[in-house]
Order: sequence, then structure tokens, then C-alpha cells
Amino acid sequence: MTTLDIIAEGQGQYLKVDPDGFREWVRDHKDRAMVPKVMSEKEAVEKLVADGDYLVYECNYLQRGPSALIREVIRQRKKDLWVGAKFTWVAAALLVGAGCASKLDVGFFLFGPVVEQAIREGRVQAFEYSNVVMTNRLMAGAMGLPFLPVRSFGGTDGFKYSGAKLIQDPYTGEPITIVPALNPDVALIHVHQADVYGNARIFGTGISHVEAAFASKKVIISTEEIIDTEEIRRDPGRTTIPYYAVDAVVHLPFGAYPGEMQGRYASDMGHVIEVVGATMRGWIDKYLEKYIYGVSSHAEMMDKLVGYQRVKEMMGRATIKEGYGA
Amino acid sequence: MSEPAVGKAEGTLSFTDIEATICHIAHIIEEDKLYFVQMAGAPLFALLLAKRLRAPGVGYVVEEGAVAPNPIFPLPRMMLGASRSHYRAVAWTSMNMVDAHAALGFMDYGLLAALQIDQFGNFNSTFIGGTYDHPERRFGGPGGANEIASQCWRTLIMTKQQKRKFVHKLDFMSSPGYLDGTPGARERVGLPSGTGPYRVITEDAMFGFDDETRQMRLIGLAPWATLEGVLAEMEFEPLIADKLERMKAPSEEELNIIRAEIDPGGFSTSRGKWMTVDAATGLRAG
Repeated sequence: MTTLDIIAEGQGQYLKVDPDGFREWVRDHKDRAMVPKVMSEKEAVEKLVADGDYLVYECNYLQRGPSALIREVIRQRKKDLWVGAKFTWVAAALLVGAGCASKLDVGFFLFGPVVEQAIREGRVQAFEYSNVVMTNRLMAGAMGLPFLPVRSFGGTDGFKYSGAKLIQDPYTGEPITIVPALNPDVALIHVHQADVYGNARIFGTGISHVEAAFASKKVIISTEEIIDTEEIRRDPGRTTIPYYAVDAVVHLPFGAYPGEMQGRYASDMGHVIEVVGATMRGWIDKYLEKYIYGVSSHAEMMDKLVGYQRVKEMMGRATIKEGYGA
Repeated sequence: MSEPAVGKAEGTLSFTDIEATICHIAHIIEEDKLYFVQMAGAPLFALLLAKRLRAPGVGYVVEEGAVAPNPIFPLPRMMLGASRSHYRAVAWTSMNMVDAHAALGFMDYGLLAALQIDQFGNFNSTFIGGTYDHPERRFGGPGGANEIASQCWRTLIMTKQQKRKFVHKLDFMSSPGYLDGTPGARERVGLPSGTGPYRVITEDAMFGFDDETRQMRLIGLAPWATLEGVLAEMEFEPLIADKLERMKAPSEEELNIIRAEIDPGGFSTSRGKWMTVDAATGLRAG
């Protein structure tokens, strides 16, 4: 037997790769029965997000992301989360600013003084990837594999601070970079429509919602609308995530607020400027107090701090409906 | 806010360094090719300008999975992921899927922006100043740039003509150019062969890379730029082509389209260094 040569490897810490452990988790914890999973965001986050969890979310705070669920994670003051910070702007910074995150796998996110300071003081550790390497890792995790070979990332400084390795491909004999599978503890995903069992529809482009849903041990879906299973069965091609991947369904209209939900509402530009400003100028505490700690739920925030006029205006600006299920 | 395209003195044009770079890139965008474009800001604006004016058949994908969109003009401010930027695409896929298309060799060109670049076209989007553990300024990371730079056949990189951008040594190599410049350097770390940086474009100049040594080579100058001026704004000295191409100045039509349709309100393009040139000669006016 010959051994596979590792030509180079990164020194970054990475979440333990354990595909068999994941299978056992699925066997023991994932409900294969079609059972209703509807609950409040408070209950879902209490039940399914634990201190120390590895957390991913799909899209981001400003675009079809699970913004309301992220706020609930912060409101419940979860601690020591390891965040998969890919394709995201302010959410990772909010989680750091709120003291919820202690590790970040970086694909891309909006840094700013709060995160810079946390890294300088050693309160937060960053490990370097790219957006795609992160979605490749989730893909491996969603396929039940320990790693995936990729045609990018090799030769960079990011490689040195990551969990990637360079090996000789046993098939072609050429060097190839491999990246460790990622099986997060919990995924937060906001969708256009879902039934009570978690059969979910996302319209539009995606980052890696399907991969994240299958790669993660616990999956919380928030949805703009709850629809009948009969409607799901009438057009199964539109289902992006089937029920058995999902652990909780939270009915959260405007759950992507202040971000855009394609086909339904545009982003709230005033709020976007407020939250980006808070992140970049170090005013995160003020933002957290106003929009998260100062209210008890998403519904209360929408009632007290957003209101009918702004909702109506955001819906009015979502003029493109084609392709978004309308 | 943006200024009118026609400057104060008759026969002059005023524009920012970013607008100039957008126009330079738009001039080299090729019809009927497929581009993998960094999704927000100036790189996408350059492609859209070419598409709007003279290359309607140019296709592009963005990392979030939209394939060949026909976005509506005027574009919204901060169009990151907005439904308008994905409008009338031919397919909505996912990040892993468009990345696979790049790995397969479908992307003729990559188009992106860099914070800091070295003589082999390696670039940085992670941190500037200090050390990795104690960075002075930390940035968001490579995002989608790494896969663009790794897998497209030819990569176009925009940056500013400033000494702090063209450096001897990067603070951090987020995305690969020709690495150490030795033959086969990219292949030795698993990157697809025959790929790499092709042009570096600034407001003042255009660079290519030597086929053998992989060093950056100055190949073109904007009408208002001088060789000395460009070299003074680089830490390393590039190779210099025997004959330097004289690039075209932005036209009034191009500037009007950028300001009225592509970046209304000048959210991204009006910030920067303004210059005024003679509309006929492209030489600095006033």
C-alpha cells in the first residue's frame, strides 16, 4: 500500500470532520416522519441553537437572509459561536459585536472597527477561506464526504491559515487542493414559502441553501408564507429543500428585513444605512439595543420600529415579480 | 453627487479616476465572450457599460449564481444581490454551480478589483498594514475573487495607480496571480493550467504580463498620463513595452451612461480623484 503525499497544508483550525458521526446524528435526531414543525422564533432558537455551536446562515442580513432569526440568536445572547462568514455583510459583525461569536471562517464579510478590535484583542479568531471554498466545504458536508478537491485557493496566504491541504491526486498524478467538509451544528435559512413540515421553496439565485440544509445537524427555516402541502405536491420541481432536512419552521413575514426578499419587498434603505453605519463606525451597541434587545420579537420590532407605511413602501418598490413565485 | 459630463470650460470633460478605469475596461470587453464578474461596484459597471454601448452579446455570471442577466437601467444603488441585478437572467443557479462552470473552463475572462497587487499579479483583499494577527486595517476577505482569479482563462484586475497599490510584497496574498513567477507555479498548487492574470487596468495605464517571466509589463497609457508619472506611482518597476499604446479617453456618451443609468447618484463612481481633460485630445485641461 502506498500512502498519499500531503505536499502542503494549512495551519488553520477547522471544525472536526466526521461523516460517520453525522450519519449517526441523522439516524438519531432527524425526523423522517412528516410531522408539523411550526414554532416561534424564540422557541426554535432556544431549542436548536446552543452555545458553542457552529452556525451558518444563507444569504445575508441585507438580502434574503434570515435576519429575524439572526436577531433572535443575538437576543438570546448565545455565546461562543463559530460562524461561517461567507457572502455576508453586517451579520457577522453584529454577532461579534454582540459577543455571540468567538470564531469566524471568513469567506467575505463587512469588517469594521468592532471586528478588527475583537481580532486584535484575541476575543475572536479568524480562519481564511473564500466564499466558494466555504460553499465547497458545505457541498462536501452535504454529500456525506470528508473533503472535496477544488481548483482554486492553492498557493495563497489564505491557504496557510485554513484547513486546506495540497495533495497529489491519485488519478491524474497532478497536485490538487482539498478542503475539509463542513457539517455545521445549525443552519438558518429564510425562504419564500414552506409547508408546516419544512418542504421549502426559495425563488431566485442561491448561495448554498440546499447544501447548508443537508450539511447541518439542525436546520431552522423561516418563511414569508406557509402554504399547503397539496400546493407543494402540485409542483414538486419548485421545492428546494425537502422536509426531512428541516427541524423547525418559523412563520416570519418580513423575516429578511431590512434586506430585500426578491419578488416580495425591497430593502429598507434607511435601515440598511443605519446598520452598515453602526458596523463601520463602531456603534453596534446602539443598534443592538434599539432593534434587538429593546424588543421581544420580530413582530414587535416590525410593529413598533418599522410600521405599516414603511412596509407598504418596501412592497411597492419590489416591482420585479417574474420568477419569484408570484 | 456627480458633475455634468461636460466640464465648466467648453470642450472639456471632467471625470473621476474610477470612471476613467471603468471606461478603459469597457473598451477591452469582448463581444460574445463569457465573463465571471465580481458582483458589486466598478468591475460590473465596466462590463455593463460595454454591454449597453457596443457589446450586447457579452455574457456574465456573478458568484451568487445568476447567469447572463439583462439588468434594468437605471440600476439601483447598492445593487448587491438586488432582484434588479438578476433580472432576465437565463438561469438562476447557486454559488457552487457557477464556480463549477469556471472550473470547467467556460469563463473566458474574470473581472475584479484588487486592494494591493504585486509584479506577478497576485493580489490582496484581506488586510493592509501590521501583521496578520494584528492588522491595521482588516478587510472582508477574498469573497468571490479567489475563484475568479484561479479558474478563468484570463483575469482582468482593476486597481488605482498608487504606490501603495503596486507593491514589492503583499501584506497578504488573498488570490493568486502567477505566484512566484516560475514556470508551472500555478499548476504546482492545483490551479487549472493556462489561466492567470491578463491585464491590470488603472485610471492612467494598462499592464499585461510577460509570457516567460510572468512579470507585469506596462503596455498602454491614458492620453493624459506620462510614463514617469505612472512609474512614480509604483513601488516596483514593471517591464515596459517597446511601443506603448495610447489609450482612449472616456467619451461624453460613456460618462453620461455611467452617471444616468449605471450608477445614478454617483454612489460608487463619483468618489475619487477628479480630473478635467480636453475632450478632443484627452490631455489635461486647465
